Amino acid sequence: MRFLLVIFFFYNQIQAQNYYVYVAAESDDTVSLIKFNETEAKEVERFEVGYLPTEIEGPHGITVDPNGEFWYLSLAHGNPFGKLIKYSTKNNEPLDQTTLGLFPASMQISSVTGLLYCVNFNLHGNMKPSSVSVVDPETMAEIKRIKTGIMPHGSRISYDGLKQYSVSMMSSELYEIDAITLKVSRKLNLSNKMNMGKSMNDKMEMKMSEMNHSTIKPTWVIPHPSKNIAFIACNGSNEIIEVDLENWKISNRISTGKGPYNVEISPDGKYLVATLKNEGSTAIWDLDNMILLSKIKNTTSVSHGIAISSDSKYAFVSVEGIGGEPGVVDVISLKRLEKISSVNVGKQAGGIAFWKMEN
Amino acid sequence: MKKIILTLVFSCFIITLYSQNKTIISDLDGLTLNIGETFTPNTYVSNSDGLKSNCSNIIYYNKKGVFSSANSISVDVENGSIKANEPGTHEVVAICIGEGGKRHSRTFEVFVNYPKIKKVTLKLDDNSVYVGNYIPLIYEITDELDVIRTIDYWSSDIGIKYFSKVSFSLKALNDKINIDNSNNILAVKDGVSTIEADFDGIKGNINVNVLKNPTSKIELVSNNENSKTGDVIQFEAIAYNKKGKVIENLPIEFSFTGKSFDKSNTASGLILQDGRFVGDVAGKYIVTARVGNISTSKVVNIFKRNVKREMNTVGTGLVNDKHTSDFWVFEGVDGNDYAVTGTWGADGTSYFWDVTEPSNIKKIDSVQVDARTVNDVKVSSDGKICVISREGASNRKNGIIIIDVSNPYDVNIISEYTKNLTGGVHNVFIYENHVYALSNGERYYIINIEDPKNPYEVGMFEIEKEGQSIHDVWIENGIAYSSNWKDGVYLVDVGNGIVGGSPSNPVAFGNYSYDSGAHHATYPFKSKSTGKFYTVLGDEIFPNGVNSKGPSETAGFIHFVDFTDLNDPKEVARYEIPSHGSHNYWIEDDILYVAMYTGGVRVVDISGDLLGDLYKQGREIGYILSGSPDGYIPNDTMVWGAQLYKGHVFYSDFNTGIGAAKVAPVKPDTSKTNQHILD
Repeated sequence: MRFLLVIFFFYNQIQAQNYYVYVAAESDDTVSLIKFNETEAKEVERFEVGYLPTEIEGPHGITVDPNGEFWYLSLAHGNPFGKLIKYSTKNNEPLDQTTLGLFPASMQISSVTGLLYCVNFNLHGNMKPSSVSVVDPETMAEIKRIKTGIMPHGSRISYDGLKQYSVSMMSSELYEIDAITLKVSRKLNLSNKMNMGKSMNDKMEMKMSEMNHSTIKPTWVIPHPSKNIAFIACNGSNEIIEVDLENWKISNRISTGKGPYNVEISPDGKYLVATLKNEGSTAIWDLDNMILLSKIKNTTSVSHGIAISSDSKYAFVSVEGIGGEPGVVDVISLKRLEKISSVNVGKQAGGIAFWKMEN
Repeated sequence: MKKIILTLVFSCFIITLYSQNKTIISDLDGLTLNIGETFTPNTYVSNSDGLKSNCSNIIYYNKKGVFSSANSISVDVENGSIKANEPGTHEVVAICIGEGGKRHSRTFEVFVNYPKIKKVTLKLDDNSVYVGNYIPLIYEITDELDVIRTIDYWSSDIGIKYFSKVSFSLKALNDKINIDNSNNILAVKDGVSTIEADFDGIKGNINVNVLKNPTSKIELVSNNENSKTGDVIQFEAIAYNKKGKVIENLPIEFSFTGKSFDKSNTASGLILQDGRFVGDVAGKYIVTARVGNISTSKVVNIFKRNVKREMNTVGTGLVNDKHTSDFWVFEGVDGNDYAVTGTWGADGTSYFWDVTEPSNIKKIDSVQVDARTVNDVKVSSDGKICVISREGASNRKNGIIIIDVSNPYDVNIISEYTKNLTGGVHNVFIYENHVYALSNGERYYIINIEDPKNPYEVGMFEIEKEGQSIHDVWIENGIAYSSNWKDGVYLVDVGNGIVGGSPSNPVAFGNYSYDSGAHHATYPFKSKSTGKFYTVLGDEIFPNGVNSKGPSETAGFIHFVDFTDLNDPKEVARYEIPSHGSHNYWIEDDILYVAMYTGGVRVVDISGDLLGDLYKQGREIGYILSGSPDGYIPNDTMVWGAQLYKGHVFYSDFNTGIGAAKVAPVKPDTSKTNQHILD
């Protein structure tokens, strides 16, 4: 029996995978590399990022290139423009940088164009349209800045690499950018606009139309890996909107808990995972049947980002915490629908990106 | 084993067979364009076996990016064409997206011809050219696109930049003017001559009337002959003709040579063309005034400034579980002395201290708010209200917190104010019942706190420039001095009345910026000894960014800008110490108390006229280093700010908290007391 147990133990050790994610801590100016061995998550390394040791530069968005050789980090605050920094995954040393717009945030690289598309969130600026920066990661040159809506966020690329999607939080729009022509190809209004009545004069009407302040506050969009639909987290209206990308219209509204913030789909297309920021929890849906499978309480409050492993087994969720609390990465099994492990990282953990899995 | 080796060899063969190198071929290679010309490149991918495959999509871009290259080459993505806008060599990247979404890219150098020169005009600023003078010629070049570029005597680098591909020659048409190999033009004989410049075959010329030098004698007078390092000596040169009459408005050149008293040192100083001279190093200096070939000199002795005094730390209030940020020392309503310190990258705590006895600094209370950084703290002049800034609030609303500090032993939060301040408040200032709070590093809002429970916004100031950025604001005499990084200091009337401004109607009336763009803090300074008015501008620079393996290197210095003439501010002096950068500072009684980050707290004599390099002039009175073995980072000095308060130099340190130091009084010079005994 003991022999069998030993065999079983070693078999498990052999079969166990190691998963690696990068997570940024916005109020600590650090990035942590997390290793998860299917039992326990550990912080392998924590490194300082940024250029001003006595200023918080706010690392916000993070992404790994499709080949896993480099990772990219957006720094929200500069003088005043933020930066995009390129790091090597070999040694996590910075390689190059470029300046983007105000509060550059989430981003992703298209596997077709090889270009990186990063939203300039402009979170705290005046309510005016911002942009998506297109960067060639090889040369770290910003090659175009494409005007979109107010406070764009949640930059995600379609699985065919040809479209980039983002939502504008304060003007309630879904933007689709052609990844090759680098132009906005379509725009969808997601809002239930304020009805101002007919007595308003033209000037007033125009001003309100310009403002069009969002009540639903979309904060993230994720296109489905195989179907022609996308899901949008609506932080203000506590729902996830499903958009039919073929007919370019809203096809479903799914009630969530309070403050859905980020939303991701497992690569196998089976699970929809959303952080509920105001509840400090993570919700998981069965995508085929659109059934809520579980809502899992995160370790601390203010749930933020999600990275799902390439084998669709685990969701890595960043949790900001409050004040001096450390940030946390919770690891959730999508099969068992439970939190398996959690690990402390820097304060206000936000942007999170899956790097690789290996034996 | 043999099987494994064979398998590996076979695998390598297969990999080699199928992994062919692909290169982008394009007629961008070696392309030359004229300005304004449009070109549609032909680009494809070639395999190593020579097979050609087309790109399903191609993206071109100018490598430096459209926002950093002034659009040297613009791209029409839809038509796949490029357009030349600026002369020079530019890198154009072609990204080819091949079949199956495989990306290939290559950088090509494209040369855009410099526009041909159409016209050359030569000018002189001052027509009084005397024998023996160098002639400061100005070149005005008009190109075929009617763009005019001016190259003056001292900015030939601009000429080199724009006309590097253009042949240039300069000659004088007679022997009254001599032109050396570096194209310096010297008037050698009186009479009329012509200078001819040739830019790429296009000629321009100017007639120059070289005047006989009317000067037969120059008298050089100064307000001092024996002085100290750093003291400014005003020289005046008076030129006389043969008849002994004074000649007015002659262009007189001042220069100097010198020798240090200390043979291990070298003489150093500065002379301006208005005759002001300062010696940095003790020594003998010869100051010369010259008009053409007539000159005269005068010797001045410069002695050591001897302002060094002892400076010692007298007390500390250690904070070593988190970083400390800014601080403020104030007199409480009970007449005792107190301080407040912020914390950085931590848990939103501010600490309150009893500093009545600077040798016994006591932590007496604290406030914790929803923030990670309380970067700045200020207390009203009556000692009743404290305002702290918030960054990193969990709800991202940030803003400011108003605290009742009437009893510093039991402080209480009165209110929170976040309107328009959600982007984070980095610095604040309290002035006459108003808080000036920075918003998102872009602008500042002015908030009335007469009723601290119900603060309300009354005004806002921003410089209204794309990419505007602000780091600090300081108010004195109804004038707000904002530090706007690359846009420099802005002087804004918020109640002074100089231009009719008020808190609800802030009006800018002065501005000065400098090249480094690192302007981080401002302190207004009216010199008691000279009456001159300066804005003292501080940099913040981390030349190598964050050093995650140890202390970060700091750089930057304090700029002294003579703002006596509001319409013509002039940067006249600097305080810079090697390898240590400036941060926050305080000025009182013509003494500067400056936090030089890793260089500790420095106390500097800024009395008298200020000119040149103040550190080199030995104006430093003393310094302390504030690192502690018990610090957050042990033994790492990182002083954040300094404030003179009731005779003590208080400071906050990023790694150790708050401290107080004392500068010893000047000791009487007793070095020669017993000299007669030796005689």
